[in-house]
Amino acid sequence: MNPADLPPELSNTPELVLAMRQIAQGPLAAQVQAIDQGTYPREVMQQLAAAGGMSAHLELPGQRADFGLAIKAMAEVSKVCGSTGFMMWCQAVCGLYMQTSNNPDLMGKVLNDHVQGLRLGGTGLSNPMKSFAQIENLLLKATPVEGGFEVSGTLPWVSNLGPDHYFGAIAGIEGQTGQELMFLLRCDAPGVTLKACPSFSGMEGTGTYAIHLKNLFVGAADTIASPAKPLIAQIRAAFVMLQCGMALGVTQGAIDSMWAVEGQLGHVNQFLHDRPQTLQAELDALTQRVMQLAETPFDKRTEFFIDVLDARAHGAELCLRAAQSALMHQGARGYLLSSEVQRRVRESHFVAIVTPAIKHLRKEMARLSAQEMPA
Amino acid sequence: MNQPSPPLESSVSATWLLYICKACGLIYNEQEGDPDSGLLAGTRFADIPEDWECPLCGVTKSDFELYTPPDLDALKQASACAPAARPTTHFNGARELPGIVVVGAGKAGWQLIQNLRTQWPDAPITLVTECAGDVYDKPLLSVAMSRKLDGRQLVKQTGVEAAAHWQVRLLPHTRALHICTASQTLRTTHGPVRYSQLVLAHGAESAMPAPLHPGLCWRINHLQTYQRFLAALGDAPRHVAIVGAGLIGSELANDLALGGHRVTLIDTQDRPLARWDADQAGQPLLAAWSNLAIRFMGSVQLQSLKRQGAQFALTTLEGETVLADQVIAATGLITPNRLAKSAGLRWNNGIEVNAQTLETSEPHIYALGDCISINGQSSRYIEPILRQAQTLAAALIHAAKPDAVLTNTLPPYSVRTPVVRVKTTSLPLTLH
Repeated sequence: MNPADLPPELSNTPELVLAMRQIAQGPLAAQVQAIDQGTYPREVMQQLAAAGGMSAHLELPGQRADFGLAIKAMAEVSKVCGSTGFMMWCQAVCGLYMQTSNNPDLMGKVLNDHVQGLRLGGTGLSNPMKSFAQIENLLLKATPVEGGFEVSGTLPWVSNLGPDHYFGAIAGIEGQTGQELMFLLRCDAPGVTLKACPSFSGMEGTGTYAIHLKNLFVGAADTIASPAKPLIAQIRAAFVMLQCGMALGVTQGAIDSMWAVEGQLGHVNQFLHDRPQTLQAELDALTQRVMQLAETPFDKRTEFFIDVLDARAHGAELCLRAAQSALMHQGARGYLLSSEVQRRVRESHFVAIVTPAIKHLRKEMARLSAQEMPA
Repeated sequence: MNQPSPPLESSVSATWLLYICKACGLIYNEQEGDPDSGLLAGTRFADIPEDWECPLCGVTKSDFELYTPPDLDALKQASACAPAARPTTHFNGARELPGIVVVGAGKAGWQLIQNLRTQWPDAPITLVTECAGDVYDKPLLSVAMSRKLDGRQLVKQTGVEAAAHWQVRLLPHTRALHICTASQTLRTTHGPVRYSQLVLAHGAESAMPAPLHPGLCWRINHLQTYQRFLAALGDAPRHVAIVGAGLIGSELANDLALGGHRVTLIDTQDRPLARWDADQAGQPLLAAWSNLAIRFMGSVQLQSLKRQGAQFALTTLEGETVLADQVIAATGLITPNRLAKSAGLRWNNGIEVNAQTLETSEPHIYALGDCISINGQSSRYIEPILRQAQTLAAALIHAAKPDAVLTNTLPPYSVRTPVVRVKTTSLPLTLH
């Protein structure tokens, strides 16, 4: 087919996004309710990864990193299923840790399998990120031993996990205040136990577990960075920026469901505020802002990071408003247990509370904005 | 799991303690135990086996800590007594009537509010400011030391008092982050604020050319930094290095020396106040200072600034090193461009505004004070602010009520070369 024959909306859409759309509206849409209630969509995740949906932001042979494209891919999937969009982010940042590690043992085949979706993984950096923002203390402790470290402790609520998955984690090194070890934690390693979490109000199929560690040995092969802070400083903006994909997608899904009832209910919906065209204009402006930020994901300036945090906060706020307004627009039909509209309300709550939550973002922006003075 | 020790008899009845999970916030109550995991009511925390898990999130006993529930009444009381930390709400029209939003509670912001309120009694006004919003005369910061004024004595009215007086919704300690022009929203660290007209009055901030660094030297440009500087200085006489012998640097040198401190005043020029070449004020000023502990180091370039023990070492390109207890940067002002950039405002050595209306290049956004420029000229003095505030109040009222008849019609703001009075009390000067 000649691309010029396509409607303009399609011809401007990147191939990767079209591939995501096909999977999202096909096999993913068929099981989205089951995922909300607890089914982990392993096959769909692998299909999305194999199509390149969780690696557009990585430098790969024959591919330049494109964070904007990675965000668009996540948004396309999040429009249909917020849970899967979130797990794409988990897989994507885990890949980013591996690539940024410069550790040959974590690049090469390991990274390649990850990119292809042959192996899946997540990120346990919620606690360390809050620790670096002076919100809570590090929960994992690493003790230096011959050839590496032994790590113990418990991390609550790490997602996109399964018995053979792995994730990036950070432990404080005992006896070395302010020094941390960042490593790839393999769920099947000796000393690691996955514990089921209590029920959440939604997004139950995200493979979320508590992780118990007892004397887990971490050697050079699984070390991502030690000290960890320079690597975190390098990727912090990219880490937060990629989450915007979820917010943009869930918001778009909500707006689409408002239009879906406009024909029948427009005569009453016109009395609501946050109408779809208003929200769409705000979403388009935000998307443009995020795409611009995505051009320089490794800009280390504080002012740039504040911009990324603010765009992420705006995404969460807009997502809440859009999901709420979609329910008002759809009325009782949106309140049915089988309706995507009420599911999306819960997904929007997740976007707003997952680390960094709106309150964390605002606190961090305030902290980073404070004028520096001699101590 | 190991078998826990038998629970204490309630007759033993020491106070039951609470322990909180640091990961998820679950509270273990000794009195209730955790029967689901085999801990009978009355099981002391100390008697819980180490491998017991938080029933909510799965972390272990070591991630719990003793928890004393807060006194809710006291918390509510404390929160009511600390209004400066919270927005004041003098109107509830946030959604229906976004109103005028002013960023910055310096002279420019408060002066505009005063002019607006006088002419438009029911205008909804929100003031967003990084500080507490206290009303004070900033020029006094460079003469406060010799007058033995601490920060509190400089405050004429607290932000909360002024907000109540002028019927303004105040968002103190709030940083404005980004302007979304399409949705007319100002994004802040306390959430988004809608505006119908936005006024930028955030001023300028001290420049910090290398090798100066904000972690090593003070910028006496705000009441809060002045107070922190005073605290750092302490009670004993100190040696203070001031970099930059312009207006502020010279005033501060004069003031600190009169306050009993030793001052080294450093500049690239060969005399103070060299920018006002025609006035030739430098030499007479140095002569007037001859009895004060002020050493002027002219015609030097700073090469490095480093901590050295409890002091700071400033080294010049010429090889001289000055050891000072504190360092002040008085190296001029620059206009922050975050908000202007986010809204795509035209920029010309500051936020470019139309002299007729003080409107920026973007509809519904205005600016006044130290952050603006007219024909590429910025102006950082008090006198122009008074006239700008009159012009801007009229423009805002006209924008909101095109048919309103203004009680006093004013000419547009015009740029005049300011006359500068230098508060170097040893030799008060007027510069042109």
